[in-house]
Amino acid sequence: MEKKMGIYVCTGCDIGESLDIDALLKVASGEYKVPVCKSHPFLCGAEGVELIKNDIAGEGVNAIVIAACSQRVNYDVFNFENVIVERVNLREQVVWCHPANDEDTQMLAEDSLRMGIVKAQQVSLPEPFQAENLSKTVLVVGGGLAGITAALEAARAGYKTVLVEKEASLGGWAAGLKKVVGLRPPYTELEDLDLAEKIKEVEGNPQITVYKSAQIEKIAGAPGMFDVQIRQNGSTASERVGAIVLATGAVAYDAGRLDSLGFGKYTNVVTGEMLEKMAANGGIKRPSDGKPVESVAFILCAGSRDKSHLPYCSAICCTESLKQALYVKEQNPKAQVYIFYKDLRAPGTYELLYQRVQKEGAIFFRGEVYGIGEVADNQLVIAAEDVLAGEGIKTEPIDLVVLATGMVPTTAIGEKLVIKAEDEKGAQEEAPADEIIRSNILNLEYRQGPEVPTLKYGFADSHFICFPYETRRTGIYAAGSVRSPMDIPTTIKDAAGAVLKAIQCIELTAQGSAVHPRVWDLSFPEFFMQRCTQCKRCTVECPFGAINEDEKFNPLPNPTRCRRCGVCMGACPERIISFKNYSVPIIGSMLKAIEVPEEDEEKPRILIFACENDAYPALDMAGINRLPISPWVRIIPVRCLGSMNLVWIADALSKGIDGILLLGCKHGDDYQCHFIKGSELANYRLSKISETLNRLALESDRVRMVQVDIMDYDVIPGIIEDFVKRLEEVGPNPYKGF
Amino acid sequence: MVTVNPHFAKKLQKFGAKTSSECFNCGTCSAVCPLVEEQALFPRKMIRYVQLGLEDKIKHSIEPWLCYYCGECQQYCPRQANPGELMMSLRRYLTSVYDWTGLSRKLYTSKAWEIISILVLFFATLGVIYLLHGPIVTEHTELETFAPRHIVDPAGWLFGGVLSIILLINIYRMYRLIMTSGEQVTIPLSLYVKEFFTLVWHFFTQRRFGDCKNRSRWLKHWLLMSGYAVAFILVNALSKWFLTNEFLSVFHPVRLLGYYATIAMLYVTTEAIIGRLRKAEPIHQYSHSTDWMFLILLWLTVFTGLLVHVFKYLDLPLPTYYTFALHLAFTVPLLALEVPFTKWAHLAYRPFALYFKRLKESALEAQRAKTQATQVKMSA
Repeated sequence: MEKKMGIYVCTGCDIGESLDIDALLKVASGEYKVPVCKSHPFLCGAEGVELIKNDIAGEGVNAIVIAACSQRVNYDVFNFENVIVERVNLREQVVWCHPANDEDTQMLAEDSLRMGIVKAQQVSLPEPFQAENLSKTVLVVGGGLAGITAALEAARAGYKTVLVEKEASLGGWAAGLKKVVGLRPPYTELEDLDLAEKIKEVEGNPQITVYKSAQIEKIAGAPGMFDVQIRQNGSTASERVGAIVLATGAVAYDAGRLDSLGFGKYTNVVTGEMLEKMAANGGIKRPSDGKPVESVAFILCAGSRDKSHLPYCSAICCTESLKQALYVKEQNPKAQVYIFYKDLRAPGTYELLYQRVQKEGAIFFRGEVYGIGEVADNQLVIAAEDVLAGEGIKTEPIDLVVLATGMVPTTAIGEKLVIKAEDEKGAQEEAPADEIIRSNILNLEYRQGPEVPTLKYGFADSHFICFPYETRRTGIYAAGSVRSPMDIPTTIKDAAGAVLKAIQCIELTAQGSAVHPRVWDLSFPEFFMQRCTQCKRCTVECPFGAINEDEKFNPLPNPTRCRRCGVCMGACPERIISFKNYSVPIIGSMLKAIEVPEEDEEKPRILIFACENDAYPALDMAGINRLPISPWVRIIPVRCLGSMNLVWIADALSKGIDGILLLGCKHGDDYQCHFIKGSELANYRLSKISETLNRLALESDRVRMVQVDIMDYDVIPGIIEDFVKRLEEVGPNPYKGF
Repeated sequence: MVTVNPHFAKKLQKFGAKTSSECFNCGTCSAVCPLVEEQALFPRKMIRYVQLGLEDKIKHSIEPWLCYYCGECQQYCPRQANPGELMMSLRRYLTSVYDWTGLSRKLYTSKAWEIISILVLFFATLGVIYLLHGPIVTEHTELETFAPRHIVDPAGWLFGGVLSIILLINIYRMYRLIMTSGEQVTIPLSLYVKEFFTLVWHFFTQRRFGDCKNRSRWLKHWLLMSGYAVAFILVNALSKWFLTNEFLSVFHPVRLLGYYATIAMLYVTTEAIIGRLRKAEPIHQYSHSTDWMFLILLWLTVFTGLLVHVFKYLDLPLPTYYTFALHLAFTVPLLALEVPFTKWAHLAYRPFALYFKRLKESALEAQRAKTQATQVKMSA
């Protein structure tokens, strides 16, 4: 495409009063010979947009640089079909956080414009990836409450659904419940769960294909074109689906490991699951002699929030036990109920259930259970600490003890695999690696392992706040207690949420667009295979397992699995991976466009690579709040810090730039990185840069990475100032002027 | 290790604590209570003892007597577990524990016992008056002739003496229970004398009540108490002028004192009855049958006393004698049932509790100072 450039400088929002606009336009027309250079006092207004449109139509302008506000605003206004649009942030990041009509501010504005022009010169319009033979079917794995709800929601939204359940009947764990806690006023009554009706609806729905007693043998492909092989009764069926909802739930923790609480040792110690079964089938009786119970003790957190068992809270055991206490009271109002807890967690309206159980006379004990002993007639005595009275207590003989055991997600059960990269000599590198557990649920044919990555407790990883449902495998969305312990209403909502994500994925894939968080993005990585050295870094480091390998270790990209973060681009030592509008050379030319003053001018230059997701908006907010920022910084937004290629650092330093600051998201277990591992990988790569710096005879202090979040706008000026001070101590870059 | 007794809470329900199981021990009650001290944490701890049924600990507790039921805790309780009412119930329960006759328990836990006891004493008093009254003079009101002082006074002393003995024994039992709880210390005899003022001070002023947030209740309570004290003095010490055939001048000090006592008691009891009917304030929301018994008998006693006075000064002989008989018939069950056995026993238990607390604290302080001194000496 022959490019005709147009530069439009907006002089509204303080820009015109703070900068020498003519000088700015001269940079474009003089240095870069841009044919169309204009300014307008209100560029985002109808008249301003019309001005641009006229130039597009009349002058044939097809690559535009808008030097105005942040790229985070007015992106809908400055949106012209088939025209390249680059934004130069003069408002938030120049005039709002720097003194007006100042030489340094003007220099900053001009450098920003140079970077924008160079970028517009280099990028080309993305052509969306169009896959063939796309499917819009949703596959739901697991036929419990979450799976059934997901299948129904998908079918109601008009999508064909395939539901796979490993048991002979649908319903899962919820099917074994006698009653559930009522979710209508007064919130204290027990109700039936309308599961049977839902199952009937699923089985009668022509949009839903149900495979029972079935398992997933293999899933190959990518969003829009997953090929699923389902084994059922010895034969194998094939289905092509567009997206997958993982709803395999959790199982109860093995009470056999709780011998300190008497399970397996005393006949009258049972689990919550066993009590539920008894209540549903003829009433609660003592297993030892079948006599109805006069007294029952519930031990909550049995093996939960316990370092030697499950370290986490399973969210529902408290309310389930309260419900079961009511079973006991309904069967025999005079029966005495004891409840031992660590913290009673009955959130929301469950509080009213808790209050009802208290009113019915149950006695609650907060503290550690010391032990359980058996006395005459198979009765049990519990000794415990009562924190609230500050006393050690023991009970009268009790007929039945119920252990409320926690949830173990189905994704946590299996052999642990760690996928690592190898360097050229075959030695393992220490790049942060995912843990994958071979849980035999999805059996993905992915380079990075057969299941979705899990977090520390084995739950399918999906960011708990920012991106619920989204696993680290594009197109696979987790719902229900497989991703986090949850109660029935939350599971139902979760299933609907995950299905919606699956549908979004199907539709966006059909458009060739990325999914959240880059929904508008039509670009995708392209590999210049002639120069590939089969180092496997891209296939291993991709946070989403988007890239498979052939037998010769050549990367096989799956564009519809890709989230367009550019981590592969940052990883590639040969720099063969690029997007149409984002590549190593594009950013490289941008930083080379920065004018670096001579050493004696005492105007250092600092390059900031700012993650577009948190750091860049935080910088914008610093501007909105008029917080002064050092005039020496030049900011380049990056899709993710994980896309940072080390060559940029080398380029910047050899150009004479004094320091480089990388602003990325928080990483670790409670990561905020929108691409999960991006900032962690950047950090890892930086740890290897000292070698490069030494080669250039430079101090490693010249490069610094700081983790920030979107609320850190008020501390960012300080972070920058601190770095400036350190650079002053280190002194100017000796490469200046070379 | 103590054994949990799930049946105690049920037992305490008869004494008025109906909502103790709803408490989740957040401690808001203790946090808002202006009377809580580090050494005496309530109501939270007491509620926990009730929930666990730690009867022995409760029997030895002094805390219920340190609460004056201002109702703050009740207003702030997030569970409507009524901590103030629980403390009240514990005072009733402890009164029954201290009482060696067992009558207190019967009166608190059985309405039938309560009503029958009142009726028996009421009619017994009328019977005694019927048998022992003096000549009925109808031409002119002669109250002293109808109720000769040589009979009324000794009968009163005898009656008072019996009640006092019962109450003193109960106080001794209370002393044994409280002093054998917590940290043990020997109290030197001199300390009993030295700290005696605490007892007198609190008996007459109820100073601690003044630390509650709502001070007006302290004033009202003091008004009632002083009215009763004046009446007590009039009836016992000054009966020569009080129970007399003479017509005293309006400004006679005995008449004035009588008016003060009547107005004070009538005002406060009437207000309390209205309050308990309206249930607007937390302290008036829950009324045990013994609370009503106390208020109604006291009100009737004072009101009939007033009527006797009015009829006498209007010189209406027969109404004077009859209302006087009624007056006594209300007074006897009021005093006999309330003072040693139920609500009114607090007139002794509250100041004694503070006295015992002070004794123990002083003794412990002295003991600590002594051990410290010995340690210093040894290290030197």
